[in-house]
Amino acid sequence: MIGVELSKMFRRPRTWATIAVLNALPVLVAVLLQLTDLAPRPGEGPPFLSAVLTNGQLFPLAALAIVLPLFLPIAVAVVSGDAVAGEAQAGTLRYLLARPAGRTRLLVAKLVAVLAFVLVTVVVVAVVGYLVGTLLFDAQPVTSGTSGAGTSMSGTPLTPEELARRTLLAIGYVAVSMLGVAAFGLFFSTLTDSPLAAALGALAVLVTSSLLFTLDAASPIAPYLPTRYWLAFVDLFRDPVLWRDVVRGLALQGVYVGVLLTAAWANFATKDVTS
Amino acid sequence: MAARGYGRARRWSVVVALVAVLASLPALVGALPADDADVGAAELRAAVLASGGVGFSGYAVSAGGLALPVGDQLPAVADLLSDRSLLRVWWRGPDEHRVDVVSAAGETGVHVDAGGTWTWEYESATATRTAPAALTLPAPPDLVPASLGRRLLSEAADDELSRIGARRVAGRDALGLRLVPAAPAASVARVDVWADAATGLPLAVEVVAVEEVGGDASLPALDTRFLDLDLTVPPAGVIAFTPPADARVGTGEDPAGLLREAADRELSPVRLPVELAGLGRRDVAGAPAAVGLYGSGVTLLAVAPVPGRLAAGLRSTLTAAPDAVTDELGTRVAAGPLGLMLVEPPRSGAYVLTGTVTLDALADAAAALPGMTS
Repeated sequence: MIGVELSKMFRRPRTWATIAVLNALPVLVAVLLQLTDLAPRPGEGPPFLSAVLTNGQLFPLAALAIVLPLFLPIAVAVVSGDAVAGEAQAGTLRYLLARPAGRTRLLVAKLVAVLAFVLVTVVVVAVVGYLVGTLLFDAQPVTSGTSGAGTSMSGTPLTPEELARRTLLAIGYVAVSMLGVAAFGLFFSTLTDSPLAAALGALAVLVTSSLLFTLDAASPIAPYLPTRYWLAFVDLFRDPVLWRDVVRGLALQGVYVGVLLTAAWANFATKDVTS
Repeated sequence: MAARGYGRARRWSVVVALVAVLASLPALVGALPADDADVGAAELRAAVLASGGVGFSGYAVSAGGLALPVGDQLPAVADLLSDRSLLRVWWRGPDEHRVDVVSAAGETGVHVDAGGTWTWEYESATATRTAPAALTLPAPPDLVPASLGRRLLSEAADDELSRIGARRVAGRDALGLRLVPAAPAASVARVDVWADAATGLPLAVEVVAVEEVGGDASLPALDTRFLDLDLTVPPAGVIAFTPPADARVGTGEDPAGLLREAADRELSPVRLPVELAGLGRRDVAGAPAAVGLYGSGVTLLAVAPVPGRLAAGLRSTLTAAPDAVTDELGTRVAAGPLGLMLVEPPRSGAYVLTGTVTLDALADAAAALPGMTS
């Protein structure tokens, strides 16, 4: 059943259209940067964007930082919100459930498909970012002991292997950060027959979380907000790596995924399916 | 139908139980009791002062409510004392440590070694070397709970100190020590230092201002604490710093030298009283002779004669502050426990008074300055 859901997800033109649109913004930013040479001052704008002019190999990180606050979560919310509610709206859910596979397995298969979408999307954004970055900007041959690309935020040199390793970790971390969004989308998707309502529900949670995060009065609950540790991938480029927020971010996403999937299962396993 | 309803209720009860367990975990961990030890206040203070050589690495958060009216002139200092700063600390000793101020997309690292200080700013890719100086502007290492706690307790008298139980800080048992300054002029109501039971290392420090200057026991003027602490000595390689090849490398100014130079050039020596606002005069290494320093412990007052054009600039800054008080003595303003006053006597040059004293004490001191008494 997982294979069926995966092939359904990636055979849909809509999936690839979403990924393509998601890549458009970083590419546009890269082209504008290349044409104008006007990088934001360091410390302003998305992380790493200021460093891209001197080293295009950092553009995957800048590209992820550009889509992370809004576009990536929107895409994940839309796809995950569609998972069950989309079938219900199209009237295909009861045929799916007529198969002897069981509802829990269908939920797991839907989840795996959404996770695959998250992973593929993040990797595609990073790969396109790398290609665009190295094509449009100087790609410095990074060697140990010199600076530029190979400098951590703490001012220490990083070897090319180390830089590549940390970039891969950052890509993985961004993918995991999106799992909470996917779990919210999937849970709401089992509550309603409208994929739009489910996606908007997930987005409402994210907007609420981002808003509360900026509010001092909400600081007691800040560590539990789903978006709290999203930008912690920046900490992977400090030296020594600051694992505190990264580890907390992973654990928090794990908790949200666990709780919401249990809730989705509790609701969906005995839900009256009428469409 | 009933069986399905039963299954549904069972499933949801699993969800509710899961959420309840997860939601109560932080509260349970936070409620772990701290072990108090039978240590007297004077003994605990001695342990705190002896903790400078304890090696550790940690992660601390410092929140300051000192809105200094110097945001334009000294932005770094103003940010440090008025904002929430996240500090990563590696400490091998007073002459070998590193403190990084971590922000969402950048960091400022202060690397201290025996020969001076490297300050690395990621945002501007600049590395600045500063020679050791007796008198410096506030810097991130000063806000590390361990250093701040030692500094604030260094001149405390035994009768100003009391024990206030124990609590857990950064997962360790911390013994509480309260300092209530005896001087009537003090603008600091109390300083609470929570020191590690095993090593004496201060783990959290809270400074609360007196109510007259807007102090509020629930909202310390300065609150700095460790969130994580590891008491193993960090490797020297983490603290050492070599500027990256493409960094802009500069040499930092020596603020004490500049201050002395400016004082010698600009300030005419004035005979200042031996006592102001009940605080005795004292000597501080590196301070210019024209500046008078008074008080001890956490109750300090500095008086400096200033040239007229400087006074004019300061007057406009101070009068622009919303809660500034202006009367025949001059203009005074409080930023939490820190008071600042400009005095312009009719027949002589102007003075600036600043320190951790109340606005009333500033007024008393101003009235006793040469040129004011007639």
